[in-house]
Amino acid sequence: MKPENEKFNEVVGLLKKSRPLLDSPEEIGNNVIRRLRAEKPKTDILASLTDFLFSWVYIGWVRRTLITASCALILIFIYQQGIILKRIDTLGKQTIITDKANNSTPSDEIERLLTGYKNSGHLFSSRSITISEGQMKELLESVKELQIKYKDLEKIIEEDPDLKKMIEKKLMENDHTKTNL
Amino acid sequence: MIDLKIIEECRSGNFNNFRKLVELSSPFAYSVAFRMLGDEAHAKDIVQETMITIWQKLKKIKTAEGYKVWMYRIVVNKCYDEMRKKKRAPEFITDDKTWEILTNKISEGPSAALENGETTKIIEILTNKLSTKQKAVFVLSDLEGMSNDEISEITGIGKSSVKANLYHARKSISEKIEKYI
Repeated sequence: MKPENEKFNEVVGLLKKSRPLLDSPEEIGNNVIRRLRAEKPKTDILASLTDFLFSWVYIGWVRRTLITASCALILIFIYQQGIILKRIDTLGKQTIITDKANNSTPSDEIERLLTGYKNSGHLFSSRSITISEGQMKELLESVKELQIKYKDLEKIIEEDPDLKKMIEKKLMENDHTKTNL
Repeated sequence: MIDLKIIEECRSGNFNNFRKLVELSSPFAYSVAFRMLGDEAHAKDIVQETMITIWQKLKKIKTAEGYKVWMYRIVVNKCYDEMRKKKRAPEFITDDKTWEILTNKISEGPSAALENGETTKIIEILTNKLSTKQKAVFVLSDLEGMSNDEISEITGIGKSSVKANLYHARKSISEKIEKYI
């Protein structure tokens, strides 16, 4: 729109001519510089730290590469620490399960039992054995039961000398057969 | 307005050079801010904020023309924010005396000039019905004498939208002038 209104032109002309005057640009300059100076130390701390650590390197790109490499190493270190902590946490949980088992039966006994199971011909597909807490409890209970039965059997044999003799004889015969074989 | 040499000198981080740049460019920034907000203290604050933003991003400025557009863009955006805050608590000046002052000044002829306080009141009564965009376009075009291309670049509004906003602003102001003067 081209305002043909004369009054409009006069008013706008008057306003345009009366440019607002900034009484003291120096004051604005001083305030701005003061604020910038107050903000500056924040960046200086970082700069002084890098200077302290890498001031012995005079070539710019070498210094930048070193700073980048050290930052990368720090990040890798933090990442690895995270993984280690995670693994420790997982292992810690597994230890609790073993401890529960330890309350009922010594660990070397379980190992002995498992080794016996291995040697008895049940081959494992891999070296690691994955066993749940429930299965472990079941196994230990059956072992206990067997131990009790074995003790009872020993008692019965001890109490009956004829039976003892007969069993010893049978065992001797068995050994002899094995030797012959 | 500003020589590229001064901008380049500031990039070295020298505060004295930047002070020079602030003192040279702050009157222009102040003029726009004052005409848009009509408040000396707020306009000064906006100039300071603008200069701090400029210091922080000085490296991005490649040309003197780019600096000018960029500076005005920051000023206008900050004024928008301030005007939005003001809108929540509007202060309408419905002073008949202001129209009287304007009438008297126009009758004085080409020698007439307005003081900052008078400019504030006159702009306020002329533009209080305008939207923030219309006011910004009117101030930049008719009071600061910028082209539509420059306004489009500064405000981020399309050229056709600049023309439309200017048309509506002029129409609204013309109607008021017709009514009161």
